[in-house]
Amino acid sequence: MSGSTTWRELRGARHDLPALLAFRRSGLTPAARRRVRLGAAAVAVLTVVVALVPAYVGDPADAGNVLALLPAAALGFAVVAIVSAVASAGGRELVPRDQAVAYPVSSAVDHLGALLMAPLNIAWLLQAWLLLGSTAWALGPTSWWAYQLPVLLWVLVATALAQVVGWCVEGVRRGPRGPLVFRLGVGVLAVAGAAVVLTGSVTAALDRSPTRLLLGGVLDGSAGRWWPWAAVVGGLVVALAGLVVVGAWPAGWALARPMREELRLEGGRHRARRTSRTELGALVRLDRASIWRSVPLRRGTLVLAVMPGLVALLGGLDWRTLMILPGLVVSGGALLFAVNAWCLDGRGMLWRENLPVAPSTALLARCWVLVELLLGAASLTLLLGALRAGVPTAAELAAVVSLTAVVTLQVVAGASRWSVQRPYAADLRSARATPAPPVVMVGYSARLALSTTVTSLLFSTLALLGNVAAVLLVALLMLLWSGWRLERVAQRWDEPVTRARVVVTVAG
Amino acid sequence: MRGLWVRFGEVDAVQGIDVAAQAGRATALLGRNGAGKSTTMRVLAGVIPPTAGHVQVDGVDVAADPMTVKRLTGYCPDVGGLVPRATPWEHLQLSARLRRLDGWEPRARDLLERFELGDVAHRVTSGFSHGMSRRLSVVLAAFHEPGVLLLDEPFDGVDPLGVEATLEVVADARARGAAVLVSTHLRELAMQACDQALVLRGGARVATLGSDELGGERGAETYRALLG
Repeated sequence: MSGSTTWRELRGARHDLPALLAFRRSGLTPAARRRVRLGAAAVAVLTVVVALVPAYVGDPADAGNVLALLPAAALGFAVVAIVSAVASAGGRELVPRDQAVAYPVSSAVDHLGALLMAPLNIAWLLQAWLLLGSTAWALGPTSWWAYQLPVLLWVLVATALAQVVGWCVEGVRRGPRGPLVFRLGVGVLAVAGAAVVLTGSVTAALDRSPTRLLLGGVLDGSAGRWWPWAAVVGGLVVALAGLVVVGAWPAGWALARPMREELRLEGGRHRARRTSRTELGALVRLDRASIWRSVPLRRGTLVLAVMPGLVALLGGLDWRTLMILPGLVVSGGALLFAVNAWCLDGRGMLWRENLPVAPSTALLARCWVLVELLLGAASLTLLLGALRAGVPTAAELAAVVSLTAVVTLQVVAGASRWSVQRPYAADLRSARATPAPPVVMVGYSARLALSTTVTSLLFSTLALLGNVAAVLLVALLMLLWSGWRLERVAQRWDEPVTRARVVVTVAG
Repeated sequence: MRGLWVRFGEVDAVQGIDVAAQAGRATALLGRNGAGKSTTMRVLAGVIPPTAGHVQVDGVDVAADPMTVKRLTGYCPDVGGLVPRATPWEHLQLSARLRRLDGWEPRARDLLERFELGDVAHRVTSGFSHGMSRRLSVVLAAFHEPGVLLLDEPFDGVDPLGVEATLEVVADARARGAAVLVSTHLRELAMQACDQALVLRGGARVATLGSDELGGERGAETYRALLG
């Protein structure tokens, strides 16, 4: 695509973007619009609270330690934003592909839409709040706005940068031998990361991080050194504007290339296997195929299983810290499709519903496959983390195993309930698609993150107490609770009217 | 089916339709978009429950025993009807397993060949064209030789060879004594496949006509008048 075309598209985006947002909003019911407004207000209020309140309750004695970590935390934010953009094939779709196909949506609008969608992600929000909150904690209430402005701008710059990188990587991935080039690139980065860790150069590398400039700007703002502060703020504003505009070019390049991986899966042949001996086995096999033949689901699962594990491995996390990971991985896995689990069948749901099989068997198969996927991903993460975590105590081992089982069943029960309660028609062909509208996904991710984090903290505390019997007892109670919630979902799924609503909605 | 009523929220999709389809006969459901054809088919397939009315398939009450109704029927849905990342063979395999069919493979291969889908039997269906998806949906509906064959828009976007194969499937079903219901917008094809037609409008039946009354120019005029 020529440069002038992209400029024209960027100018046109002023009109197109609001029109697409209005189109997206028009699909919401009045109740959903009210929920979205409430959610947006809550996020805005929370952001102000997080950025301000710690300034009044912080401990100046901790300021040095907290500020020393700020460059690493800011770098971490950028890395996670980049991973998220790469995993979602450049960024989320403002309007699903099958709905947008009738309209001339330019790649520049697609790029800006993906940028707008990026913060609709609980990991993004939590990290942004962490950066703002810890800075306020360290620096107190004086010149509050001045030191928070660079932090806020960094959050936006890192997001725009991640978008540019995401489009570039997606362009490469869509090229000839793209998946191979991508895997080689990831391998090289992993080896480089391992080398930095094994040679003990992590601190030295972080000390050279460009995010030190951000710390300088923050300190200048706090101390009232306005010229250097203005230089940092000005630099960040220019970088933000530049990255937002520049991103339209790699977006145009990437989106114009064929989706080779998806097309390969669609065109590829799959060897026939023997007919399963049981009804459940037959349904499980089809559900497994639906997951592993979907590019976004396969890619998302792999990223979720490997990335936290690598962080744990490189960071040499101990067992108590590792306990936060299963909840994180399981929640992320559920967000790939499980919160709208029946969308796996797409329009085939109508045909499947005509098959003579008990509704409970179909639900059991879906839950079984989900448990397999989530447990597998969490186990791989723990396996990687365990390599440098040392030998666990009996209580730690019992806690981490119990916790993994508990959060898995907890998430499966919650996701199954949402799948029956609020189904959506979603096409999971593209890695940019989400199983539910992005705004709804924020709500789901917040609720999953909250429940699994609380569970993780509970088991982490139990491990500290060192009582294996207590760990197992709590795990049993929580498993029974989740089992009871799943049973209630099964009862609802058994109602023909409820099931018909799900089937008709998912089939579109 | 007597007095079938289906309500979605505030909307009455079907308002008191009476339908009787006999064994060995094919009946067409004709009407404009939103006339209630697909909803009627979905009720007969046991996919959605009736809000009111009495619906029996081969003497089995749909509301009371939907599982048996699903065993008795073969259903080609109006939209898609295929699991996107499964192959045609895997669809047939699942159907065979859940319907407890033995020695199903030769018939599956024969049907796929008749509908020119033999070459793509092991490719996932998300890459299929609309016409291919329609043809496979007809194959899946007819595969287990059901007592009641429900074909919703089976000719939509299908090429002439696919149409011929579908007409053959309908003829075969009638020959072995199955009751066939075909929902379509295409009057001429409906009259080729069926011997009578029910015309629906606004969720209610407005006429029952023989194929001779709906054929040709005169039939087209009659049909247009019935659509309002």
